[in-house]
Amino acid sequence: MKQHKIRLYPLGKEITVNDKTPLIDLLHEYGIEFPCGGKGTCGKCRVSLLEGEIEISEKHRQTLDRLHLSSDSRLACMSHCTDSITLQVEQFDHLILADETEFEFEPESGFGIAVDLGTTTLVAQLVDLQTARILAVETLLNPQLKFGADLISRVQAGLDGHSTEMTELIREAIGQMISLMLAQYQVVPDKVVIVGNTVMQRIFSGMDLVPLSCYPFEVEDLGMKTFTSEELDWDFQVSKSIHFYPSIGSFVGSDILAGIAATDLHKKEKFTALIDIGTNGEIAMGNRDQIICASTAAGPAFEGSSLSVGMRAVTGAISSLRLDGAKIISTVIGNTEPKGICGSALIDAVAILRKLDLIGPFGEIGTGEDSLRIDGAVWLTQRDIYEFLLAKSAIAAGIEILSKNLGIDTFEIEDFYIAGGFGNYVTVEHLLATGMVESTEEKIHKMGNTALIGAKMFLFENGDLASEILGKTRHINLEGHPEFQDIYIGKMMLE
Amino acid sequence: MSELIEKLLEAVEFGKIDQKSPYPPQLRGMDGAHELTKQAIESGINPQRILEDALIPAMGNVGKKFSENKIFVPQMLMSAKAMGASMVQLKPFFASGQMKSKGTFIIGTVKGDLHDIGKNLVAMMVEGGGWTIVDLGVDVGSDRFIEALKNNPGAVVGLSALLTTTMVNMGEIVAGIKGQVPGTKVLIGGAPVNADFCRSIGADFYAPDPQKAVEYLNKLAS
Repeated sequence: MKQHKIRLYPLGKEITVNDKTPLIDLLHEYGIEFPCGGKGTCGKCRVSLLEGEIEISEKHRQTLDRLHLSSDSRLACMSHCTDSITLQVEQFDHLILADETEFEFEPESGFGIAVDLGTTTLVAQLVDLQTARILAVETLLNPQLKFGADLISRVQAGLDGHSTEMTELIREAIGQMISLMLAQYQVVPDKVVIVGNTVMQRIFSGMDLVPLSCYPFEVEDLGMKTFTSEELDWDFQVSKSIHFYPSIGSFVGSDILAGIAATDLHKKEKFTALIDIGTNGEIAMGNRDQIICASTAAGPAFEGSSLSVGMRAVTGAISSLRLDGAKIISTVIGNTEPKGICGSALIDAVAILRKLDLIGPFGEIGTGEDSLRIDGAVWLTQRDIYEFLLAKSAIAAGIEILSKNLGIDTFEIEDFYIAGGFGNYVTVEHLLATGMVESTEEKIHKMGNTALIGAKMFLFENGDLASEILGKTRHINLEGHPEFQDIYIGKMMLE
Repeated sequence: MSELIEKLLEAVEFGKIDQKSPYPPQLRGMDGAHELTKQAIESGINPQRILEDALIPAMGNVGKKFSENKIFVPQMLMSAKAMGASMVQLKPFFASGQMKSKGTFIIGTVKGDLHDIGKNLVAMMVEGGGWTIVDLGVDVGSDRFIEALKNNPGAVVGLSALLTTTMVNMGEIVAGIKGQVPGTKVLIGGAPVNADFCRSIGADFYAPDPQKAVEYLNKLAS
């Protein structure tokens, strides 16, 4: 297959991709956010073409005209790689937020580093604190993955005597990412802000994992952790501070705290929900008066690890499916032969199979056979569909129980923000069709990586914003709700 | 008379709780387990027959279909609820000695773990298999299992765990039970456990799904 070289300026990255690879697949890996979910409405993913050609459709041209963009501009979400090109990526030049007007930062001198320490992926950005510009980005897989994909397997590894190794691995990985960014600019950072879930915070900080291993899952000392470069064995200096932001509860960490900051949930008058679907599924819900949050055991299916054909959103993964008449059309990341299916397409698959009546209201395959072909060699088994139903009902039940705790009906929630890498690809229509989120299309907003957006905001504050949010936020255990079982099992159905 | 038994078997197998229950659609408006059991008792059918010819085979079919991935948790729960609507009316006959259960099954989620849906499904299926259930709930340590065994001599014990971090507590509980009440049979289940783990902690049986638990128990009772 024909291949092209894609150079990203000012990152200095060069990537080889297959012909016709959508640009969204490529840039997503570098932390670029697609606030409208790739519909071509917001224009936030614009790039400037410095060298080479990007073919442009009539719709793409109309969109550029409507957004008053110059002739060398393209929207990444509508572009495919058909030539070797050099791109200047606008998002690396500007701090992009879903609502830029509400993010007020006090310019400071110096440089900051924001890190989203995920269970699966690590993303770090170097930020100019005078302008809030993003100068550089690095991404890496979490090196703790060798101890298992989900959080409980990391806790287990800790109990099995691998705590120190996991702590060293993650400190080293983040140190390397920062070093690479600093080398390009020859600057000394003033601040490092790291956000991540509670397990990641404790492993990074070298704290005991036993309290997270069993009931009552109560963790002391969830607060802000402060370090020096020497303590972390980093070979560069940080002139002011290195903070790992405070966790909210045993299984809801500072990534959600950052998500609340990024969505301004704590300032909203109307009820709003943030749903972060990553390796764990966390939900925060509330308004300026109070916020409650909880974690759900939703992750493994959406990260692909518990499915026969599941995979992360990498080359070869089917990232989305749509229906053309009765024919299922798939989009494969990297435009190659499909090798598996990632979380967002799993939602598409179940929604489409149900619509075609190939599966029933309980997810049962109508023919009675054990699997259904999705595309090429990719089949979805009955078991995979059940795994999906467990994951989607975990989220749906979480939303309902949090609503009940706030004394409201789910339909009273004015806005749902869908965060996580997953959120960029998911088809809202299908999200609703499966009943994972019970709302209407106009209330659903894709937000990209809210943890990273929030971490950048934390670079411009001294802890007051985090304290303000924490003061309003409670953490609850979903399974403690007396109706949990009936709600959870009830939500497994596909109407 | 046998028509009532057949209808009850169908109602329980397909999860028809009572007449007003909208589920399942194909039985909409028809009598459910609640009404059919009442009619069966009133028409003088032996309650033991209701249990053995309707409830046990119905739940057996449910367990088999679940084992084969033909149905999933929601259908199983609806069947269990329909069975419950029938069983509640049979309870007085157990108490009066007119009916006998196959034995007593003590079940609990082990210390450190709060997950109880899997445990509840197994308890329902075993009850539907004709056993008496003593459900100790969640976060149960060996002392409470032993106490329950002393109150129910000869009972079989089932341990459930959903986390790799809590399944390790099963070993200690099995050792405690076998030490204090020798000869007790212990079966284990839950997502992270398997047959090797079962052997390593000295438990008697690993049940990969509710139906296998029922089959094992029935073998013990026969």
